[in-house]
Amino acid sequence: MVELVPKLLRQELNKLAEEDKRIDGRKRWESREITLETNCLYNAEGSAKVVWGETVIYAGVKFEVRTPWPDRPTQGSLMCGAELRPVAGRKYEPGPPSPESIELGRVVDRGIRESGCIDMDSLCIIPGEKVLGIMIDIHVLSDKGNIFDACALGAIAALRTAIVPAERFDIGEDYPLSVSMTPTMCSFTRVGGRYVLDANEKEELGGDERIHITLGDEGHLHSLQKGLKGTFTPAEFDEILQVAQGRCKELANLVNAQEE
Amino acid sequence: MGGYGDVKLLRDDGLRLDGRKIDEMREVEIEAGVLPAADGSAWVKHGLNVAVCAIYGPMEAHPRKIQRQDRAVIDVRYNMAPFSTSDRIRPGFNRRSREISKVTAEALESVVLVERYPRSKIRVEIEILAAEAGTRCVGITAAAVALADAGIPMRDLIVGVASGKVEDTVVLDLDKAEDNYGQADLPMGILPTTGEIAFLQMDGDLSVDEYNTCLQYNMKAAKEIHTIMVDALRRRYESKNGGEK
Repeated sequence: MVELVPKLLRQELNKLAEEDKRIDGRKRWESREITLETNCLYNAEGSAKVVWGETVIYAGVKFEVRTPWPDRPTQGSLMCGAELRPVAGRKYEPGPPSPESIELGRVVDRGIRESGCIDMDSLCIIPGEKVLGIMIDIHVLSDKGNIFDACALGAIAALRTAIVPAERFDIGEDYPLSVSMTPTMCSFTRVGGRYVLDANEKEELGGDERIHITLGDEGHLHSLQKGLKGTFTPAEFDEILQVAQGRCKELANLVNAQEE
Repeated sequence: MGGYGDVKLLRDDGLRLDGRKIDEMREVEIEAGVLPAADGSAWVKHGLNVAVCAIYGPMEAHPRKIQRQDRAVIDVRYNMAPFSTSDRIRPGFNRRSREISKVTAEALESVVLVERYPRSKIRVEIEILAAEAGTRCVGITAAAVALADAGIPMRDLIVGVASGKVEDTVVLDLDKAEDNYGQADLPMGILPTTGEIAFLQMDGDLSVDEYNTCLQYNMKAAKEIHTIMVDALRRRYESKNGGEK
């Protein structure tokens, strides 16, 4: 049964692909509707709720004061983790973090970290003694496909609206965290032999490999990841990169619009 | 229950620090059917607390040894998100969440008609996204609405409410400061139609009279929250039948 359903689904998706159609009627490069809400949780220093089609995720930012690494006495730190808890769907089970959730957290983490949008030196309080650590936690509540893009959007939106609780740490007045860029992620899944943007859960079940592209403000690449079994050609990558350039700008505008 | 006498929790005019009367509860907002991946779901905002609950099932019970020949088992997971409290919590289960999950499951088993689904399992996933005192009660309320949304038959809804004692005065629905510095806390899961109690915990110090006042406050609050729960479910089914969906 478990093997049979994706097989039948795969046949259907292949047939639709021949006519350049998708299972939910979208065009190939068309995304589902996105609603972004920030500052929605009381105890998080920055928070975001993303409803991406039927996928729902929350992201929350917390800070801590810690001692810096000996080799980097003036640098703070950033950590981003994602949890695929059993709440997210029928297929998820309790237990230690799965490889899937580790990949998800790390891909989102890299996109934000490598864009350089956080100046780690600005997180220094006393060199060699005290620095700020930023922790972004992502909670997937409903997985209906493409949780990667939803998580990346939630993470950067929560980060960009975060307030450093300096008063609580006795280091002055609360201030907004300085984030110099809005890196966003765009994911493509091979469905019926060709790539589509923003696959839903059926397309993921009956599709093949996926490619995640994170772009920064200048359209520069900051993180790439290929997941699952399959290969692609350079020409295919060129095509989706072009699509990602336009799409990531739209996503960044969505985040920036949250900050009045 | 810290029980520190030096923190002032009642104002000179008899109101509480956040301006509530002693028998007034925090504002409650409920929405049913918020998570499309789940068979039933609910979102509850109670004061500054936010809880989300997803129901999966009834489904096959795994592993086999947890199966019951005559009824369904209810598998509750109460979990606090790392960003739900002022200091970040390490992700994962701890002793507190295990205990709350266990007693919540037992409370829900007493309202759900579990004998209708022998050998199966109903998964109840409670996620606390923002915690500001009273999360186990908010979780119970969310679970009840989510179970109803999943179409699982129940004898009654179940409402999570709490009252307690601050500065020798019984108050309804403790907030964070009252929970930390108050003298007692009495959370209950109440079946609003029959007035039965399916969930009970307590810590601190209460006289019998004070307990009775707490009970009376809890019953009153349960009726109020019950109306909001029913309203949320009604809205959900209206939009399912006549609305866009």
